[in-house]
Amino acid sequence: MQRLWIVIWLACLAAPVSAIAAPGKIAASVVRIEAATQDPNYRVPWSPGRMSGGVGAGFIIEGKRIMTNAHVVSNARFLTVSKQGDPKPYPARVLHVAHDSDLAILEIEDPQFFHNTQPLSFGGIPEIESTVSVFGFPIGGDRLSVTRGIVSRVDFQPYSHSGMDSHLAIQIDAAINPGNSGGPVMQDGKVVGVAFQGYSGDVAQNVGYMIPTPVVNRFLADVKDGTYDHYMDLALSYFPLFNPAARRALGLPDDNNGVWVGDVYGGGSSSGRVQRGDVLLAIDGNAIASDGSVELPEGTVEMAEIVERKLKGDKVELQILRDGKKLAVTVPLNERWPFELQANAYDVAPRFLTFGGLIFQPVDKNFMTEHNPSDLRLRYIFDHLITDHLYSERPEIITLSGILPDPINSYASDFIYSVVDKINDQKIRRLEDVEKALAEPAEFYVIHLLGEGRPIVLERKEVEKARERIRQRYGVTRESNLNS
Amino acid sequence: MSSFFRLILLSVWSAPLLLAGTTPPAKPISPPTPQVTDQSFVRIIATNQNYEFLRPWVKRPPYSRRGLGTVLAGGKILVTAELVLRNTYLELEQIGTGEKCPAEIEVIDYQANLALLKPAREDFLKTHVPLEVDHGARVGDRAEIVQLEANGSIAMTAATLSTITVSPYPIDEMSLLIFRLSSPLQQRDGSFVLPAVRNGRLLGLLMRYDARSQTAELIPPEIISHFLKDAATGHYSGFPRVGISFASLRDPQLRRYLGLKDPGGVFVDGVAPDSPAAKAGIQSGDVVLSAKGQAIDSDGNYDHPLYGRLPFSHLMTTESASGEAIPLQIWRKGQLQTLKVTAEPRDPAQMKVPSILFNKPPKYLVSGGLVFQELSRPYLMEWGADWRNTAPQRLVYYDAFQDELPTDRAKIVFLSRVLPSPSVLGYEPLEHLVIRSVNGKPINRLEDVAEALKQPVGGFHKIETEEDPGVIYLDPKAAESEAESVKTQYGIPALQNF
Repeated sequence: MQRLWIVIWLACLAAPVSAIAAPGKIAASVVRIEAATQDPNYRVPWSPGRMSGGVGAGFIIEGKRIMTNAHVVSNARFLTVSKQGDPKPYPARVLHVAHDSDLAILEIEDPQFFHNTQPLSFGGIPEIESTVSVFGFPIGGDRLSVTRGIVSRVDFQPYSHSGMDSHLAIQIDAAINPGNSGGPVMQDGKVVGVAFQGYSGDVAQNVGYMIPTPVVNRFLADVKDGTYDHYMDLALSYFPLFNPAARRALGLPDDNNGVWVGDVYGGGSSSGRVQRGDVLLAIDGNAIASDGSVELPEGTVEMAEIVERKLKGDKVELQILRDGKKLAVTVPLNERWPFELQANAYDVAPRFLTFGGLIFQPVDKNFMTEHNPSDLRLRYIFDHLITDHLYSERPEIITLSGILPDPINSYASDFIYSVVDKINDQKIRRLEDVEKALAEPAEFYVIHLLGEGRPIVLERKEVEKARERIRQRYGVTRESNLNS
Repeated sequence: MSSFFRLILLSVWSAPLLLAGTTPPAKPISPPTPQVTDQSFVRIIATNQNYEFLRPWVKRPPYSRRGLGTVLAGGKILVTAELVLRNTYLELEQIGTGEKCPAEIEVIDYQANLALLKPAREDFLKTHVPLEVDHGARVGDRAEIVQLEANGSIAMTAATLSTITVSPYPIDEMSLLIFRLSSPLQQRDGSFVLPAVRNGRLLGLLMRYDARSQTAELIPPEIISHFLKDAATGHYSGFPRVGISFASLRDPQLRRYLGLKDPGGVFVDGVAPDSPAAKAGIQSGDVVLSAKGQAIDSDGNYDHPLYGRLPFSHLMTTESASGEAIPLQIWRKGQLQTLKVTAEPRDPAQMKVPSILFNKPPKYLVSGGLVFQELSRPYLMEWGADWRNTAPQRLVYYDAFQDELPTDRAKIVFLSRVLPSPSVLGYEPLEHLVIRSVNGKPINRLEDVAEALKQPVGGFHKIETEEDPGVIYLDPKAAESEAESVKTQYGIPALQNF
């Protein structure tokens, strides 16, 4: 599924910014954003990364701020914003970014930029089949482009930027192309969405998506206190309760109400409050149908939508059936989805540690994308970290990600992508444990890898002799990064 | 390596090679050895049939393979096991006369890729000249590969023995001795199994041929003799194995850490549970210095008197008989000791996830619309050549790391799919869920499911799965009353097969 998505960000457009004004008030509030980005290198984790860049769109909102997509400004080193009728690119910086809902707010130091501009205001969810206009700087020219289409559907959709989140999204049939990202989708002079992703043309035609205003408003409300707290999550899995035998076994009437809790994940908001086998009957007073949907005044939505709209510190009231008894359970929403390592990460430098030419790294989505290891055990642990509750033993999966060949490590190459289990009998649960174990004085460092009987053995005196040699030979500018 | 070599099927021959019968055969470099004639071979026509593991009650359409069987003393015919894999019907044909006779498999060893056939009529081979098994061949020796022309005459192609090594065999990936021959073979009639002869004796059976490099892989005399000797006992046991995996000990830092002074030896990095090695007390971390009195170098090779450096597994699989006590010299925590390992073959059917299941139909159980099966390698191989990446990953993981499972877990029972029917309403999307328990009883084999389903708890069947959703409830009466309609609707001949 994820592969079919393209993020509609126009990469590396070298053409100069055009500065001819387009008519209309809306056009004056739509901006072009150019980003110089540097993507981290998970194979050479001490390297500063490859430079690239791209163009996206944005629009002025109240408070002299600019709204755009998170993916337009991710990993940016330098951002400039320009608008119609003003040839000057203004340096900008990211004020808030929400990678989970692909939104960002920028600010511009030079107040001159906002001269003669009007902030755009937000509307609601447009009607199906109603017409909308998409503003942006897509491929095919330099000036502002406007395309027009109708609203095709309103549904929960995966957001490809993080690769893990699903939120409400609106599908439109207007042409949305690379460079449209972050641009406003307008109806009756109001912003009804932010263009953000589409399907590549060889998969589907005229399928573009925008982030609807409930998601945008949630972001704006979340950052009101100056920090973005992320979406909160119940961190549980639930299943439909259609089967008549299952309903009778759980003591439920045949009334199409309730879902079954399959699993509750440690460290999440529901942990210790909800249990596997509970039946969720209602959320905040709304009855949960047996397919997990709830009826709201605006229509039928997934029960997750109730949690989606809340902010950190809010509460959710659940009505639960446990062992045939009804209970009211209050879940304070203080935790996000606890397994961020399964999402694409941005604006972070890879964590790593080198020792004797061995490179140790924690495994996360970025690592998996870049290394794509075929090692079955590593893949299994990464894929089943949540479902099999492996996270309690390994909050971080530390792997031997590479070797800088040297006489002291020439017999370790068979163990690349093995999971580090112990070093000198110290259990390795996170990268800091590796640092600690290797800092302790010992004649031999014995590195045990999961599922491998033969350890990697390094002699301290040999490692010390080789240290400078390896650094010089491979240009290792930094031997570790433990900051996250 | 094994993927590089292919079976000798029509499809792998490169196009420019013309079929025999349209051009004269290549002139053999050396004349055929006079004493080998077509009277030592019969044509085999094997009709084989697979089961469909995703619908275990269905047999796939039959397919045929033709090969050349070698007549041995005692009226037996030797072929590769691959020729008669999943055999349903077997026919022999006299080369000169075309006279036919049904036959049956007397002994088959999937790991050694050998099978012994017996004609239904005793007099069918009375005019044949049995071949003896060769011995003493060395690298550089010449041999001939025997083929049949379409007209029934015999063709011989010269071959040179180029390499002798230990390498995985095609069916069960057991590593055994092989001979590699270089030979310019051409596609001819019925070339699935080809015998190779040397000095009028059987050198071996060809199991793979790569047309590009003109390299043939042969089951050598040692493997054939071990197989025949074992078969002659009347109760075939197979090639023994010790059940250890080892790592090289070339790394000087590892050697110093272990305190090893003398050269050689390999590091035991895994001992299979219930294996002969485990029973003999060999542990992961031991260093094996010698086996059967032969010193082992740090890569795991010993000096074979004829063949030079060979992996020491050859000593324990092929140069040992089942039940033989094999002395291993072990270095453990600075102490030298000798442990005696009683060599035993591994029965693939006893594995937690059996690697092969050719001789019997797959087990299954249908209750309501729920289909339960035991996990096996053939099930996973239904996902095609890339099954390790494309099959359900949890099941692939169970196959790969089955030795790490608790010993009481005899088999992996899983819900393979759901056949939509009223009693399983809402469960249709469930598939490939490993079963933890049924009605409170732990499940270690498929029979346990059948037994547990006899005793519903509180009027329901409660099936617990390892992954989400965790629990499936089923109405026992509804499931029972639907049994007949599930059978008819989905064309299932029987609701269970054990």
